[in-house]
Amino acid sequence: MITTFFGSDALGSNGAFLVALMVGFGFGLALELAGFGSSRKLSGIFYFRDMTVLKVMFTAMITAMLGLHLLMAVGMIESDQIYFLPTVYGAQILGGLIFGVGFAMSAWCPGTAAVGVASGRLDAVIFLIGAVVGSVLFNEVYSALVPVYHWGDAGVNFVWAALGIPANVFVLLFACVAVAAFWGAEWTEKKVAGTGAYLGTQFLKTFSIAILVVGVAQAFLPSVNPGGATLTGANAGETSLLAAMEAGEDHIEPEEVADRLMAGDKTLVLVDIRTPAEFAAFHIRGAVNASAAELPQYLAPNKNQGTIVLYSNGMTHPAQARDALARMGFSNAYLLTDGLNGFMRRVLKPASLREAPVPSHPAAKIRAWRLFFLGSPESGVPRQ
Amino acid sequence: MESNDSSSSAGPKPYMNPYVAGVVLGLMLLASFLVLGVGLGASAGIARIGACLQGCILPGHVQGSEYFGSWGTDPLRYYLVYMFAGTLLGGLVSAIVSRRVQPQLERGATAPRRLRILLALVGGVLVGFASRLASGCTSGQALTGGAILATGSLLFLVSVFAGGYATAYFVRRQWQ
Repeated sequence: MITTFFGSDALGSNGAFLVALMVGFGFGLALELAGFGSSRKLSGIFYFRDMTVLKVMFTAMITAMLGLHLLMAVGMIESDQIYFLPTVYGAQILGGLIFGVGFAMSAWCPGTAAVGVASGRLDAVIFLIGAVVGSVLFNEVYSALVPVYHWGDAGVNFVWAALGIPANVFVLLFACVAVAAFWGAEWTEKKVAGTGAYLGTQFLKTFSIAILVVGVAQAFLPSVNPGGATLTGANAGETSLLAAMEAGEDHIEPEEVADRLMAGDKTLVLVDIRTPAEFAAFHIRGAVNASAAELPQYLAPNKNQGTIVLYSNGMTHPAQARDALARMGFSNAYLLTDGLNGFMRRVLKPASLREAPVPSHPAAKIRAWRLFFLGSPESGVPRQ
Repeated sequence: MESNDSSSSAGPKPYMNPYVAGVVLGLMLLASFLVLGVGLGASAGIARIGACLQGCILPGHVQGSEYFGSWGTDPLRYYLVYMFAGTLLGGLVSAIVSRRVQPQLERGATAPRRLRILLALVGGVLVGFASRLASGCTSGQALTGGAILATGSLLFLVSVFAGGYATAYFVRRQWQ
């Protein structure tokens, strides 16, 4: 399982900066090798004479997409380790249109212009000066643009989800479109410029088949929808909560709690989530008091360590609190079966007052419980 | 190459097969996802350099501004600034090795210099502005968002080419 800098909230660390520098190095290398240090070559796509931009970009996108979906499907990386770009329809469509106008005019984009500068292109230097000015300009008018900047904010949104198709099926479709686009690009170059160097070559055939094979392979793997992070991830969590509830794994019996407290079990944290006033009036010996809202913070040191048991008078609030904690990753939170009322009835109620006759051994145990929790086997059960 | 003289006098090396270059680029993007947990980006680096430059002249104004101000007092301490520097370095090494460093204002044979300069500058302003509006450029939105199949990023990509093709005809003179 991979932990990314993003996943560990360390994108601002020097380590991340070094990795970013190295990734950028490879990025610049690939752009330059493809010929993107030349604005004339980049502009080719707009006049159909040189479709290199389409071939390189589409190949890169497909490569990363297939790789990422494959690695997610086999569980090498979880989707919570990756930052998914949010969708803001208005801002991205309007921004894209303006960007496209500027892209066709200058024949540079930010990444390729860096490579253009490295290749000695004066027009790339001019472009970058313009881009800095454009960024500053944006900052100057930002306050007026805020509505546009958030126009159509749809959060993390995936095109396959928008179309109602499983991610792995869409990835396969996308791979097919890419292959068709490659052949179309070569054919266009041949028609317009008499080139299309790879049209019908063994290389392009092999490359196309390779893309389709990987596309089909990932479609057969279980569909781990990336960013199902929010969809399937949450559903899986709820399903496991329901399963735990059904299996009775979410609660703990009062007798067990009583025995463990008497035995001085330090791994048991018993939390009374009633009001401080109720807690002051009476609480199970050894319990601590915390409100539901402060539980995550209060229990952070006990997360997945030892046993956390929540109780109130009944079971509703502790059950809700337990589920909330479980969603936050606490796998060791339980609620006290039947709450404080149950504890009174099943642990503290004197043997003599119980409905059914109590055999001698449990009767001795009840006396011991009462002695421990109430200070005297004869004390009355406190009123609530 | 045995002789440095013969290699330096030779012309530029041919470009790499675009599909192979695309795979290399895609693997870089994948590596970025796997190690950093985020994709590629270039425009944010430029914008932060802009914020830094403006901050040198008008520090109070930049700190007080809503957009640049949110980047703190040191906007350059950001991974995409380092990525942009890396892109420049990688491009430089590749351009030198491939003998493609050619100082020039790239344009068509009969195109006026002033036309090319004007279009590069205005295009740059539009791209810089639009990248902030869309929170990314061809790298950060189109390529990165496209690879994770983000709806908005793919719409951005389509919009870029819609805007580009609508404009290309009117600026074709610079390549003639």
